[in-house]
Amino acid sequence: MNEPVLGGMAHTAADRPLPLLRAGNTNCGGCGMSIALNMLSRAIAGRKVQMVIPACCGIVTAGPFPYSAYGAPVIAATFASAAAVATGLTRVAQSNGDPTRVLCFAGDGGTYDIGLATISAAAERNEDILFVCYDNEIYGNTGGQRSSATPFGAYTTTTPGGKHAPKKDIIAIMAAHRIPYAASVSMAHPEDMMRKLTRALDLQGFRFLHVLSPCPTGWKSEPSEGIELIRWAVESGLYPVLEVIDGHEWTIDVEPSFSDGALKTFLEHQGRFSKSHVRAEDVRAAIDRVWLDLRARLGSSAATPRT
Amino acid sequence: MTMQLISANHASAAAATLAARANRKARGFCSGVYPITPQTECIEQLCAVEIEKGSVVRVESEHSAMAVCIGAALSGARTFTASSSNGLAYMAENVFTAGFFRLPVVMMAVNRTLGPPWNIWVDHGDTLMLRDSGWIHLYCEDNQEVHDSILLAFRLAEDERVLLPVMVCQDAFVLSHTMMMTDIPDQAAVDAFLPELNLPHRVTDKPRVVGGLDFPHQTEMHRKQHIDAMSRVIGVYAEVQNAFERHFGRRPPDPIVPYRMDDADLVIVSMGTTASTARLAVDAARERGIRAGALRLRMFRPLPEAALRAAFAGKRRVAVIDRNSCPGLGGIVWGEVRGLADPGAVVQNYLVGLGGGDIRPEHIERILEDLAARQHAGEPLFMESGE
Amino acid sequence: MTLEIRLHGRGGQGGVTCAKILASIYARLGKSVQTFGDYAGERSGAPVRAYTRVSDAPITNRNKVYAPNHLLVLDPTLLGDDVVAGLIPGGLLLVNTPKPPADFAARFGAYRVAAVDATAIARRHGIGTRSVVIVNTTIVGAYVRALGLPMEALEGAYGDLGLEKNLAAAREAYDAVAIAEVKTLAEAHHASAPPIHGSEVLPLTRHVESAATGLKTGSWRTQLPQYVAHLAPCNAWCPAGNDVIGFIQTLLHEGAPAAAEVLRRTQPFASICGRVCPAPCMEGCNRRHHDGAVNIRSLERWIGDHAPPAPRPVRVARTPRQIAVVGSGPAGLAAANELAQAGHRVTLFEGEKELGGVLRTGIPSYRLPRDVVDREIKAILDTGVLASTGHFLDHDDLDALAVEYDAVILAAGFMRLTPLDVPGARLTGIEQGVRFLHRVNMEGGVRVNGHVVVLGGGNTAMDCARSALRSGAASVTVAYRRTLQEMPAIREEIEEAHREGIKFLFQRQPTAFLGHMQIGAVELTEVEMGEPDATGRRSPIVTDRSTRVACDHVLLALGQSADWSLLLPGSTVVAGRVRNGGSDTNFFVSGDFATGEGTVAHAIGDGRRAAGRVLTALGEEATIFVRPDPAVAVSVEKIHLEHFEPRPPAIDEQAPAVERIRSFAESNQGVPDMREAERCFSCGHCTRCDSCLVYCPEGIIERTADGYLVGLEYCKGCGICVVECPRGAMEMTPV
Repeated sequence: MNEPVLGGMAHTAADRPLPLLRAGNTNCGGCGMSIALNMLSRAIAGRKVQMVIPACCGIVTAGPFPYSAYGAPVIAATFASAAAVATGLTRVAQSNGDPTRVLCFAGDGGTYDIGLATISAAAERNEDILFVCYDNEIYGNTGGQRSSATPFGAYTTTTPGGKHAPKKDIIAIMAAHRIPYAASVSMAHPEDMMRKLTRALDLQGFRFLHVLSPCPTGWKSEPSEGIELIRWAVESGLYPVLEVIDGHEWTIDVEPSFSDGALKTFLEHQGRFSKSHVRAEDVRAAIDRVWLDLRARLGSSAATPRT
Repeated sequence: MTMQLISANHASAAAATLAARANRKARGFCSGVYPITPQTECIEQLCAVEIEKGSVVRVESEHSAMAVCIGAALSGARTFTASSSNGLAYMAENVFTAGFFRLPVVMMAVNRTLGPPWNIWVDHGDTLMLRDSGWIHLYCEDNQEVHDSILLAFRLAEDERVLLPVMVCQDAFVLSHTMMMTDIPDQAAVDAFLPELNLPHRVTDKPRVVGGLDFPHQTEMHRKQHIDAMSRVIGVYAEVQNAFERHFGRRPPDPIVPYRMDDADLVIVSMGTTASTARLAVDAARERGIRAGALRLRMFRPLPEAALRAAFAGKRRVAVIDRNSCPGLGGIVWGEVRGLADPGAVVQNYLVGLGGGDIRPEHIERILEDLAARQHAGEPLFMESGE
Repeated sequence: MTLEIRLHGRGGQGGVTCAKILASIYARLGKSVQTFGDYAGERSGAPVRAYTRVSDAPITNRNKVYAPNHLLVLDPTLLGDDVVAGLIPGGLLLVNTPKPPADFAARFGAYRVAAVDATAIARRHGIGTRSVVIVNTTIVGAYVRALGLPMEALEGAYGDLGLEKNLAAAREAYDAVAIAEVKTLAEAHHASAPPIHGSEVLPLTRHVESAATGLKTGSWRTQLPQYVAHLAPCNAWCPAGNDVIGFIQTLLHEGAPAAAEVLRRTQPFASICGRVCPAPCMEGCNRRHHDGAVNIRSLERWIGDHAPPAPRPVRVARTPRQIAVVGSGPAGLAAANELAQAGHRVTLFEGEKELGGVLRTGIPSYRLPRDVVDREIKAILDTGVLASTGHFLDHDDLDALAVEYDAVILAAGFMRLTPLDVPGARLTGIEQGVRFLHRVNMEGGVRVNGHVVVLGGGNTAMDCARSALRSGAASVTVAYRRTLQEMPAIREEIEEAHREGIKFLFQRQPTAFLGHMQIGAVELTEVEMGEPDATGRRSPIVTDRSTRVACDHVLLALGQSADWSLLLPGSTVVAGRVRNGGSDTNFFVSGDFATGEGTVAHAIGDGRRAAGRVLTALGEEATIFVRPDPAVAVSVEKIHLEHFEPRPPAIDEQAPAVERIRSFAESNQGVPDMREAERCFSCGHCTRCDSCLVYCPEGIIERTADGYLVGLEYCKGCGICVVECPRGAMEMTPV
């Protein structure tokens, strides 16, 4: 990594003068969503933005009326409606020649589940929206129920024995819409994350970013270890860090080592997995399958590299 | 100004188009649309016209149609959509949102039976389901009224003293698909009538959360502000009627529309096109020497309570026709107005024309006969009128 | 009887469950109970309330509790008037706090105050996470004790609720709670429900810019991040006590002259050490575990060679002393330098004609050019150090010095050579390597012929072998009795010798020299490696398999030791000072003479140490250099290796082997630039890399003139900054 991180731009004139997320918010200590918002803020920098946030932790973040922990305008959309409300905003901005960038910032419930049809439609129309899904793999706002983003094996209050189904491949779903840009983002790789956020903000049309977001409360993990968990998820191959341009140009941005040690550590450091006794061996085959698919999409016949 | 032989659906679209274009010097127009019978003609036409500084977004559901309007309205645009029946049920969450956000969205709602089982014909149960969504409800009787109501709805909704969404309701097929000569005004006249929208709470680039957390006291006060705005509607409506008359030379109907009520012993209360039929029945009854009168409830929300009390004053027998059913009570309109008649008056409920049953004058005549014979109100009376 | 209990905690501490446990206990005692929490958008750390109502009669009231009989405060930072509001005078105020209840007497004297450090107890029992400790099950133990409720009821309730695992913590709190009875009787003031206020609420139809919430989330934290400079392993491993990390980082950011200044604080031999040091710092370097240690030795050389001479200003001593230093090798020079810097008058006594000791007599010039030695010694002399050369001192001379000087430091180095007592050891052509090197270095023009066998595996052996090659030997073989891994010589020296064509024989011990008058062959016997001894070194076991290697010259490089005959008989050395006749003398020993550690760096470190000891003994203010314990240095586990892109170390440039063996010109040219400094992890030392700032979820870490500042008003204590610090330069401390 180059030092200083992000070229030292954070909290300088190159950064957003007013942070997107202001201090004094009620997010849990060590909340990954907060870190994602800070990174997003830096990428936004001088751009004018309007944000739409559906029901999720991120809207509770705003705090009580008439205050706001957000340093930007935010519309609280109904759970399924973020992409549609954003459509209204972006269309009116366009009609008025207004350069405002319209962003949706939604959790996995509002993206993978209840919001999916709306997102799909906005993507199909190629609305000029940047949709950021911060995925904590759980309905965190309601106290930790499974979503279709919850990974195989994870304990939630509605999967007390561990979830049986694997999580949806949201990037593949979005790529299938042939949108200009879809990418998964690792918070443990800030330069890559910043590059993608900036690119996504600059492009026109529907752009989708998936950010795996550590949730110490839901994952039952140490608040201090959030970024470590993401690092292990990337290293193990559990979380592919990639981007897709126009639905067909697939690029792996961080080549994992597929380390079994990282996978084991990732699982062991989270109560949601230890509670359901999931072991690395139970997860590895699914990772391999995902990567075989990915390699096929990349046009490579190479099998999953193992070290 | 042109006279056109068009359906009320097309009259709605024409009015929405004129209103849309009239905001071109402000933040423009935006609409989220989704088809549902019998409203589809309206949004088809909206998709076929060119709107300077505006867009019509073909979304994937009614829920999103209203969501697009919410986003667009918050960005300061004039907004319109149309829906019906189960579409309204699916949209409901965002209908309430538009109300709570105090956004001047105008929606044309074609009243259609809620399914299943599926039935595409008229019934008021769909929009009445949204009674408490915080919207203004107007129920129309003919093509011109539908058109004019949509135009005036924008002025009413966007008035700073009001800032509430308006639902302009019309009966399925009987009105929506029935073509009649309709006077469509010039753009210039509409431009003059409709002030440019400058939504005070429109979202800019300044930090502000729309729809964040309210604690109980804040919700109490926000509800009270909403109630207060609703209570100002009738006064503002009268101003809008005057302005409309000044600009277009005709006066839109009052919140309640009485017919031969002055000396009436028997009163027929109804909404929508049933009121036209009721007038025919009243005339026929008068010819038989029966002193009948009719009262159309055009504005359902806010309920014109004072006007209704005044109209009911001295009346001993009132028939309330409900083209909807509220199982466990009877009809919704009856539930609303029965307490406004004089003490001791007979206010009898008749459920007629549910599921699109064709309400004919003879149905009303039977009601008059029944009402005239009553000493006391009884259980809501269910009348079959369909084939 | 009706009891109303209110709990104040923070999201994640288990306040609602705590209220439920209390209700469960009372239910087991046959009471009618009710329990509930306040539900809002609270998150981990945000203030929350929970309530329990207990009565003999059925409970119908569903309001919140405004006038509690008992108040439990699960987080001491919440304890304020607003929290205590309504508590009935004489009621129980149970606080989770490490403080004794007496500390609250003045403020809350109207209540029975009970205090227990539930956080510490729960943390000990591993309940919750490090930053979010779940105290609910623990504090209940204290409550039961304070109320005199039967422990069996608690045990039963924990059984009912599946909390048996937390019983031990509850029992500990039961035992630990301290209670202060009511001090002052106050009038009962029943706080009523908050007034129903008709305050204005901004309509939703108005555009008002939203202000930040102003919520001071700093009160949520249970631990606090701090920036701490930790010992870097390179610094811990440097025998000379150099601030290695300091000079590398200074080189990187400020250039060679500034870095040289950092080095001069400890020693003036950057160019010498940068050439000949075995560099233990590189052994300790954490980057070794990633992609190869930083080439610290060559960075030091870069600094020495690229910084113009800049003698450090000499301090003025309170009482200038006269000190004699006997021996001008690295230890003597370092001691002289340190003393002179402190403002004392130092005279160096050297038997050879020129100063430098082993730097001149032992280390060949292809490794250490003489102009480098001259330059760095001159810098020392420039600070006012005097020199007396050309005369080896005897006992009488030393006695005279002891009288003339306030103190005498003996830094005479190794004088005694290890002989080899095997048949044929007196044959011509067998020579001590040190003597050979002395001849080569001091006389010049020394020639050898034919095949030279060097016996030994240290740096002297390498110097001998490579010098022999440069002096005309047709071939050179080094025979060492252990394995390559165990050779004490500097790794690079072995590699370069190998490149120059020198042959190595391992696990061979000389058992006889053969020849008539003149050496003709050496008998080398195979050695097997036995079990490791106490030092971890495997002891060689000589076998009966031997071979004869024909040779024309044998150089013995089997080790050296100090010759303490210089000291008076009966002398002992305690902490570097010579004692005789039961009392301290003004003689001090230093360097190889004292320690036998055998490297320039060790000698420098001990020279500094001796200077400190002398000054301390003379009553001056001085610090005696102590090598830090490498065990407390930042370990590689504290380093985020993935933060650092793999990048191989910069390799020293060497003249081609065929060319360099023809002369004694310096063969190693060092590194071509100073970019190697970029590879330094800066273990335990903040580099202002912004990782903490970028990863802080609250965005409240700000830069200061010399580092960062955590915004304490808002820091929730999550600890991500500490974990994400790539170099272990932060740590969490309990609040």
